[in-house]
Amino acid sequence: MRYGGDSRSRLLLIILVVSALFLITLDLRGVKVLDGLRSGSQTALSPFQRAGNAVASPFKNFFSDVTHLGRTRNQLATLKVENFNLKQELINRKNADAQLKQFKSLLDLAGTASYKILNAKVISQGSSQSFSQTLTIDLGTNSGIKKDMTVICDSGLVGVVKEVFPYSSVVLLASDPSFRIGVRIAGSQQIGILTGQGSRKAVLQLIDNQTTLSTGDVLLARGSLQNHPFVPGVPVGTISSVDNSPGAIAQSATVKFYTNFSALGVVAVVVGAPATDPRDALVPPKPHPTPIPTVTVYATASPSPSATKK
Amino acid sequence: MLARRILFSVPIFLVTYVLQESLFNQVRLPGGGFSIFLILTLVWAALSTPEVGAVTGFGAGFLMDISQNSDGPMGHWTLIMVATCYGIAFLAYGDDRSRANPLTTVILVVSGVFISEVIFLLSGALLGVNLGSFGQILTTLIGMSIWTLIVTPLVLPVFTKIHAIAFDLSSQI
Repeated sequence: MRYGGDSRSRLLLIILVVSALFLITLDLRGVKVLDGLRSGSQTALSPFQRAGNAVASPFKNFFSDVTHLGRTRNQLATLKVENFNLKQELINRKNADAQLKQFKSLLDLAGTASYKILNAKVISQGSSQSFSQTLTIDLGTNSGIKKDMTVICDSGLVGVVKEVFPYSSVVLLASDPSFRIGVRIAGSQQIGILTGQGSRKAVLQLIDNQTTLSTGDVLLARGSLQNHPFVPGVPVGTISSVDNSPGAIAQSATVKFYTNFSALGVVAVVVGAPATDPRDALVPPKPHPTPIPTVTVYATASPSPSATKK
Repeated sequence: MLARRILFSVPIFLVTYVLQESLFNQVRLPGGGFSIFLILTLVWAALSTPEVGAVTGFGAGFLMDISQNSDGPMGHWTLIMVATCYGIAFLAYGDDRSRANPLTTVILVVSGVFISEVIFLLSGALLGVNLGSFGQILTTLIGMSIWTLIVTPLVLPVFTKIHAIAFDLSSQI
């Protein structure tokens, strides 16, 4: 038989409902005791919640992961692409920073000598198939580049413009074996002819045989007639060794170029020569040798056991 | 007898409440999951007299109100649970056929969960509780009901046995 309820049961129900309504009223009126109950329960539960979190952490997202497997895969693929793009961006940023540094040094160099320059990016290295050493820059006739213009970088001479196209130019590097340039030694002003050797080394032949060369002498471009193909004063390199063979008609030396031709990113084409020869203004400062610390160890021989025995 | 019942019942509800708050709430199930504490309360009410059901609902509702997860004012869940548990106990009590049938208990519990949630939503709207979007509400309501339908048959034998021990009854599902 179904329960029909009695007065005692109804009374209890009314008391409980009224109590609940009383609690709601108190809470809505902002009685602080009830807020304390909630915060107290949270304080008491927090150690259990921490323990529960440790227990549930391996599997608490299991269902969510299973149901969102496709979405997670897509997200993973998106993140991989994003990561790749960010890595590329970082590499580009590093390149840009390096190029900016080179541009700054280049502008300093050109500014000191009052060269009028056009900055260019190296867009291609010449093929070694034809044994010539060239590179291609992103400026051409449309930018005012002409054949036989001097090309420099932040450290010195790069080469000369060999071929010109509307939007690009081919530069013959100073390291090319067919490259010749008239140079003078900074300070003594002796002149010679520098010939590329296919590497960072070149050979210098002095015109005057009476001049004495020494290692570390700085070579600068002597300059050509009407400043084509070479403007005066561009740093070329330093003498790394001197050939003093007796009976030689002309004194020769091996020169190391300032420019590292394999690491060129940005260069500048000199489109306007200075009104006056900058002379030795562009001679790079000599590097200060870093002192190498020496460590002296004093060792004292310990007395041998036989010496102590009697 | 009364003291024995209370002493036996209160720890069970407290342990289940702590488990719900610290463990079950952390498992993110699709559709909102289930409340083992709510299931226990409704099963308890379905197996008890209406008076015991109402008192159980009052105590359980009060515990739900003091939970940090509760958005409503204090007494909100208490009122809902008193009404729901009394209703379920009233429907189940005295009908031995329905009490002996676990399916009836499961249906009562699932209905109780659904109805209590609907009442919570309606009364919450009146009391200014932030309830979320309609789609989210619908998903949670259906999800909780389905989860309760899945979990209740699994825990029903255990809860029935505990209830029988507490109330010293021989009838077990």
